[in-house]
Amino acid sequence: MVFDDIYKTYWNKVFRICMGYVNDHDWAKDIAQETFVTIWQQLPKFRHEAAIGTWIFRIASNHCLRQIERQNRMPRTEMPEQVEQHVEQSKEPQVQFLYKCIAELPETDRIIISLELEDIKQAEIAKIVGLSESNIRVKVHRIKEKLAKKFEGYEH
Amino acid sequence: MDFKKLWHKQEADNMPDIKILHKRADNIKRGTRIKLIFENAVLLAISALIIYVGYNIPHALPTTKIGTALMVISMLMYLFVYNRLIPVLFKTNFAISTHEYLEQLISIKRREDFLNRVIVNIYFVLLIIGVGLYFVQFVHNLLGGILMYGLTFSCLLFAWFYIQPITVKRRQKPLMETIAKLEELNRQLENGE
Repeated sequence: MVFDDIYKTYWNKVFRICMGYVNDHDWAKDIAQETFVTIWQQLPKFRHEAAIGTWIFRIASNHCLRQIERQNRMPRTEMPEQVEQHVEQSKEPQVQFLYKCIAELPETDRIIISLELEDIKQAEIAKIVGLSESNIRVKVHRIKEKLAKKFEGYEH
Repeated sequence: MDFKKLWHKQEADNMPDIKILHKRADNIKRGTRIKLIFENAVLLAISALIIYVGYNIPHALPTTKIGTALMVISMLMYLFVYNRLIPVLFKTNFAISTHEYLEQLISIKRREDFLNRVIVNIYFVLLIIGVGLYFVQFVHNLLGGILMYGLTFSCLLFAWFYIQPITVKRRQKPLMETIAKLEELNRQLENGE
C-alpha cells in the first residue's frame, strides 16, 4: 500500500482516535499529523509482520500517549499553531458529550475505547495495546458501562 | 445508546496537504541534526584546544599532561553518553504495542535522568581534578597559587553547585513528572486501575 492511499484511507480514523484522546480539534489534528509523519518515515521499514491497520493504530496510539511528555514540557498555549482552516467541533451536543466523556477517562482507557468505537476487532486492539484479548473484552465492557452511566446523568 | 454511531459523527478536519507533512518531517530531522552537530562541535573544539595547549607547553610536567588528559576525558565522556542518548530520543519506535512503548519511554527517560544527575557529576569531578593538576606547573608562589586556584575553583564550584542544580532542577521536574505519569499508565494497563 502506498503512502497516499494510507493517508486517504486512515486520516479520518486516526483523527477521531486523537480527538477521543484530547477532545481538542487543533491538538487532535496536530497529533494526527505527527502520526502520519512517522508513518511516512517508517513505511519503507514496514515488513508486514502485523496488519497495516494494526501498525498504523499502534503509531497513532503511541503518539497520543506521547502527549504526556509534551504537556509536561510546555503549556497548551505554546503548542504549534496550525495553518489550516479551523473546522468547528461537531455541532451535535451528544457527539460532543461523548468525546468529552472519553477524554476524561484514564489515558489507556481512552485509547482502548476509541479503537473499539472505530470498529477495530478486539483481537486487533489486543495486539495494538499489548494486552490479552480477554483483558481487552473486560476493559471495553467496563468503559462502556462508565460511559452509559455518564449518558444517563446527561439525559436526565 | 449507540456510541459507535455517535463516534462516527465526529467531523474530521480536511486532510492537510501532503507537502505540509513532508515539510514537517524535514524540519524535525534538520532541527535534531543541527542541535547534535552544534553541541559536538563546541565540546570537540574545546577539547582540541586543550590538547593543543596542554601538549605544546615546553618542559611540561607530568601533572600538566595528566590534567590535560583528564579535562579532555571528562568532555569526551559527556559527549559519548550524550550522543548515545540523542538517537534513542529521536528514533523512538512508535510501531510497537502501547505496553512496550510505555516501557521503552520509561527506559529512555530513566537514561536521561541518569545523564542529568550522575554523568554531569562525574564530568565536574574529572574536570576539577584535571584543572587542578594542570595548574600545578604554573604556580610559582603561594599568593599566585591561592589566586589562581581560588579563582578557577570558585568558578567551577559555582557552576557545579549553583548553576548546574538549577539547570538540572528545571529539566528534572518535568522529566520526573513524565516518568511518574508513564509508570501510572503502565499500571493502568497492567492492573486495570
